[in-house]
Amino acid sequence: MTENVNEQVDKEKYVRAYGAMVLSRTFDRKIITAQRQGRVGFYTPTMGQEATQVGASMALDKDDLIFEYYRDVPMMIHRGVPMEKLLDQIMGNSEDYAKGRQMPSHFIARDNNFMSIQSPVASNLPLATGAAYALKYRKKNSIVLTTFGDGSTSTPDFHAAMNMAAVYELPLVFLCENNQWAISLPIEKQTKAEIWKKAEGYGMEGVKVDGNDLLATYKATAEAVRKARDGKGPTLIEAVSFRMGPHSTSDDPNKYRSNTVQDGSDQDPIILTEKALKHMGILNDSMIEKIKSEAERIVTEKFEEREKIPPPEPSTMFDDVYEEMSWMVKEERGEIL
Amino acid sequence: MNMVQALNSELDLRMGADDSIILLGEDIGIDGGVFRVTDGLQAKYGQERVMDTPLEELGIVGMAIGMATTGLRPVPEIQFQDFIYTAFDQIVNQMAKMRYRTAGRITVPMVLRTPYGGGIRGGLYHSQSGETYFAHTAGLTVVTPSNPYDAKGLLSSSMDLNDPVVFLEPKRLYRAQKADVPEEDYKVPLRKANLVRSGDDLTIITYGSMVPTVIQTVEKNSLDADVLDLRTLVPMDIDSIVASVKKTGRVMIVHEAPRTLGMGSEISAAISERVIEYLYAPIVRVTGPDTPFPYRLEEYYLPNERRILAAARKILDFR
Ligand SMILES: Cc1ncc(C[n+]2csc(CCOP(=O)(O)OP(=O)(O)O)c2C)c(N)n1
Ligand SMILES: [Mg+2]
Repeated sequence: MTENVNEQVDKEKYVRAYGAMVLSRTFDRKIITAQRQGRVGFYTPTMGQEATQVGASMALDKDDLIFEYYRDVPMMIHRGVPMEKLLDQIMGNSEDYAKGRQMPSHFIARDNNFMSIQSPVASNLPLATGAAYALKYRKKNSIVLTTFGDGSTSTPDFHAAMNMAAVYELPLVFLCENNQWAISLPIEKQTKAEIWKKAEGYGMEGVKVDGNDLLATYKATAEAVRKARDGKGPTLIEAVSFRMGPHSTSDDPNKYRSNTVQDGSDQDPIILTEKALKHMGILNDSMIEKIKSEAERIVTEKFEEREKIPPPEPSTMFDDVYEEMSWMVKEERGEIL
Repeated sequence: MNMVQALNSELDLRMGADDSIILLGEDIGIDGGVFRVTDGLQAKYGQERVMDTPLEELGIVGMAIGMATTGLRPVPEIQFQDFIYTAFDQIVNQMAKMRYRTAGRITVPMVLRTPYGGGIRGGLYHSQSGETYFAHTAGLTVVTPSNPYDAKGLLSSSMDLNDPVVFLEPKRLYRAQKADVPEEDYKVPLRKANLVRSGDDLTIITYGSMVPTVIQTVEKNSLDADVLDLRTLVPMDIDSIVASVKKTGRVMIVHEAPRTLGMGSEISAAISERVIEYLYAPIVRVTGPDTPFPYRLEEYYLPNERRILAAARKILDFR
């Protein structure tokens, strides 16, 4: 009896995961089209990394903290960040959590424990160590997950965070989303070592996983999370996938690569996940059809709804530099408005 | 040529003539740089001379300094000035101080190129104007062009220098303007401001991305103003500034960077120390505000015609 219940719960978990992947992909396609139409300024597509992110997200609890990077839309959707808020950020409208201050793809969703995004890559990693230390210090049961690309492993920030995390045995999971490209630089030119192997040099466990495999990523992350929760220190997970789109809407990959993974092809993680879940008897064609058309409907409706929201008031630009506005900014606001 | 083409043409000319010149940076090779300044150069000069580096600004700058101390003349690129900060230790403690700490026995002839400034909807981290960070460091020469002709000639002079140059490229102007630019190598001198326009009532001191904005405002509103384009921010051309101020007695400084401790502060202090008795009115600065750079509201951040004109009225009407 209990076994049956668990199976049901598990099934729902996977269906929800697949739904988040599809919703994210639908969102991606919509934003790319809207950018071409001049309705959106910029975007970093996430397609190809859905299984990695949703798999990892499945392993987390609600109270766990995430120091994410700009390509983590699938994870945000899976953790329940409202589509409205993603669109508000991309449009930089007056409903945006960050008042339209950041470029598109720089999301924040503090309510869902996403700790906000900066552009300089990997500078979220040292912050993740601080947060993990705070959780440990307060004897919380939560852990920290931080995400970053393969290119980001070349930075001093990566080194600093890996070393600190290992030295202080922090409850922290490093998830490297290796999509094999950093703009135009392929992974072979980024590093001579395999990413997961770098962990050993810091005295940390490193794991490599097929990032196109939802279940494998889920399991690997769940294992690392359990270890972190048990006070056994950090783990580096290298999840290998492929950046299916351009680096961003400003990028033209034809200049530097000829091979790619097509949307809907056999190597597409969404197709791979469909196959796996169908094989497990969790999904069938009519469910898939329904999930896809529902995603289409949500994205279209929400996009049109959020597009009507006006930009932030100019005066908002001067807020939040300090808790208390400086005299300089007061003067400048007077001059500019 | 536009500014991108002018810079590209200078790099090409110099690399052809001197095999000690090495370019290094992120996405500068096969991709030709995200702004295409190095387009085609890797195909022409090979991967050894146009290096697609790992994502590591500290490494790029540090490696370039090492090359420069041992006989090469590297021209590293940092993709956006906003991402230069992990290399700051190298810039401030190595690049800027090498000549001094070795009494000239070791020098650092290199040009550190990087796009800076806003106006391309880049938000907080693709819009910064950090010139003051460099200007405040003794040993660095800080250069910024405002048009394609100057870009090529200033880059040429910078590459001749036996000292490190921080070469700030106003990305908003990269493709804003086409100008007649000679195919061959020529020099625009360092440490020399350019009197872009001559007038009697007012001196407007500016540089980089603000130069076109200032000129358009002056012309459209028939202001009788000297417009000085600094071109080299440090060491700045104090003689040209003083000469103009003596003539007009009224001064405006325009830059995109935040006001507090921006270039305007130094210029204003230098004028006050030397020729305060010539001034008929307080010096006025028109600058970006002391806030980070916003995405959606960037047009409110950037100095514009309305603000420049309001400042001009204030200065000209001052009794
Ligand atoms: C410190 C820093 N340098 C340069 C950049 C410009 N840039 C943005 S993304 C990127 C490539 C990042 O590659 P990777 O870490 O693999 O992440 P991906 O974009 O592939 O997901 C670069 C060079 C940046 N954002 N930050
Ligand atoms: Mg990558």
